[in-house]
Amino acid sequence: MLEIRNLHAVVESEGTEILKGVNLTVHKGEIHAIMGPNGSGKSTLAKVVAGHPEYEVTGGDILFNGESILELDPDERAHAGLFLAFQYPVEVPGVTNTTLLRESYNTIAASRGREELDPLEFDEYIKEKLEIVDMNPDFLERSVNTGFSGGEKKRNEIFQMAVLQPVLSLLDETDSGLDIDALRIVADGINKLHGDDDAVVLITHYQRLLNYIIPDFVHVIIGGRIVKSGGKELALELEEKGYDWLESLATVNGEAK
Amino acid sequence: MTAHPTRIEPSILHKLAMHSPEPDNRLWTGIREKSMMRLNSTSFPHRKIEEWRFTDLKAITRTEFTGMDKAGMQPAAGIEKYFLPEADRSRLVFINGRFHEIYSSIGGLGKGVTVGNLRNFPKNKVVQEYLNKLVNYENDIFTAYNGLMFEDGAFIHLEKGAKAEAPIHVLNLYTDSAKPYIANPRMLVMAEEESDVTIIEDHIGLGENSYMTIPVCEVKVKQKAHIHHVRIQRDSIKAIHMSRPITYVEKNSEYHSYTITLGAKLSRNEPRVIQEDEEVNFTLDGLVLIDGEQIADTHSVMDHRFSHANSHQLHKVVVNGSAHSIFNGKIFVRRDAQKIDSFQENRNLLLSVDGLVNTKPQLEIFADDVLCSHGATIGNFDPEEVFYLQSRGMTEEKAKEVLTYAFALETIENVKVESVHKLLVEEVYRYTKANSKPKQKKVTI
Ligand SMILES: Nc1ncnc2c1ncn2[C@@H]1O[C@H](COP(=O)(O)OP(=O)(O)OP(=O)(O)O)[C@@H](O)[C@H]1O
Ligand SMILES: [Mg+2]
Repeated sequence: MLEIRNLHAVVESEGTEILKGVNLTVHKGEIHAIMGPNGSGKSTLAKVVAGHPEYEVTGGDILFNGESILELDPDERAHAGLFLAFQYPVEVPGVTNTTLLRESYNTIAASRGREELDPLEFDEYIKEKLEIVDMNPDFLERSVNTGFSGGEKKRNEIFQMAVLQPVLSLLDETDSGLDIDALRIVADGINKLHGDDDAVVLITHYQRLLNYIIPDFVHVIIGGRIVKSGGKELALELEEKGYDWLESLATVNGEAK
Repeated sequence: MTAHPTRIEPSILHKLAMHSPEPDNRLWTGIREKSMMRLNSTSFPHRKIEEWRFTDLKAITRTEFTGMDKAGMQPAAGIEKYFLPEADRSRLVFINGRFHEIYSSIGGLGKGVTVGNLRNFPKNKVVQEYLNKLVNYENDIFTAYNGLMFEDGAFIHLEKGAKAEAPIHVLNLYTDSAKPYIANPRMLVMAEEESDVTIIEDHIGLGENSYMTIPVCEVKVKQKAHIHHVRIQRDSIKAIHMSRPITYVEKNSEYHSYTITLGAKLSRNEPRVIQEDEEVNFTLDGLVLIDGEQIADTHSVMDHRFSHANSHQLHKVVVNGSAHSIFNGKIFVRRDAQKIDSFQENRNLLLSVDGLVNTKPQLEIFADDVLCSHGATIGNFDPEEVFYLQSRGMTEEKAKEVLTYAFALETIENVKVESVHKLLVEEVYRYTKANSKPKQKKVTI
């Protein structure tokens, strides 16, 4: 479903290379976890896949269902079924959650050949989805993320995922900021939403999340490259040993390999 | 009456003033004489004067205005579409500043509310006491000109305790014409103790012609009275709009005004609120949506003279094309005015490289126990917001449209009259639709 081939990306404005040859293949039905130290390029990878204009791809390719998406705008990628849950969800004052979701749902539905919903049908539909993440309906009429607590923002991201029904979800540190109960609820929600026809990529720092959402693969990014991949037990190993023992895989004589 | 400009350089206004209408009663005679004196001692503004530094007045100085009788007026057709359902029986219609009784309807206001054409109330105590006495714009040739030239005007009087049963629609229409003319709408509003009224002051250009309108509006809000004042400027795209609304607020009164600027090639709005006693609450919000070559200038004054005032000014502006917005918001807090809570913010959304914004919030505080927040921002879209919306499936264009719409909508949320709120939402929508793509001048090398 997703194939990232030797991906290199730089910060558009200054040219600093952040991704230095990432390779990653995700098939449908799979759950992947990406871990790695702060500043190693996890969020950058997610944003580049989603088409953030701040980054320029200087090498490699991203294939989605067999076709390169590098030339697609972020909205076209969303239409194709890609979803990014932001590490730092953006506040959009003046645009209510409902307005955003109705607009999004219908444009995505139209482009994927699903039926569009009129406002009444949409209200019904959205109510079911609220339950998946146990979210208070009051949030629907509030401006997107505006004044939401850190945890509420994260929950709102997964609520949007529930509404938009993506094929590939990139969840960037959705667990950070959630309290213990919320983490369980949100993790249950993600499990409910995940099926044989879609895939989930979780970016996380904590092994704890992976007790709730069992990954098929765990990858470690250091210095803009995936330096090690394994099964779910790799997360436990990282929990125990940290990243030090992998640093040598990332650099040779202080330079990226 | 003849004007004899002395010391000062005569302008088009001085010239046209030579044909000022003959007053037909003593009150008007007094107003005319005073205005004539003012006009004759006031120069036409220019950019060397600080208050006019940023405002290009070529739209006025390069236009050959003519008298109403020589302008070649077109008839006003199809004006019913501007009527508001809520104000079906509370409407005053002025065409080019002249009152039109046949289009007006004033039966639906209830006890204690008097509305009508100012000209018909020369013996009214309120008119005698306040007309042209509240207006206070030093060195302003436009108010002087209006005082000399206005013939009709809206008179709104609420007796003690009177609550207007419907919003009052003051509909100012400007007809198409062969030549540019100058209209002088006038308004006097007196809300006595504990009265309550909503006023929709509407200015609409019916053609695409060039004209100038100089609406002068005097408002007094007495103890515990409440006024909700919505001002919509939808003048023709070649028009000039010079408005001077001044309001005096007494103890425990509330005055909330919302000015929406959509039309005119050049507009200069100078709202002033002057506190006359303690415990007042007032709002001077504005929304400006401009494009093309439009210039929209707001110079406001909020004068806190006594303790315990709550004031609010949110002035939001969207600029596209080569349009130019100017904002100067003066907040005075006099020495003995303590416990003042004043909020002022000018937020500008600049959509194009050729657009221009000048902003100057200006605090002059002489008291110490005061909470004043003020600020100005000028910006384009936040790229993170655009990306966020795009990542949810909206095209870049749609995302920008949604963001502009959201930006603009905040200021009109407080407009209470449903049909007016709806029409403003439509105006905002129309503007954002038309402007979701930034317009840049084509550069040829
Ligand atoms: N727009 C940018 N401008 C400059 N530097 C950037 C930009 N985006 C990312 N970087 C840098 O790239 C590196 C990787 O950032 P990224 O956000 O991808 O890290 P991360 O792995 O998600 O870290 P964390 O675990 O802290 O979230 C960091 O050093 C960061 O400072
Ligand atoms: Mg990150």
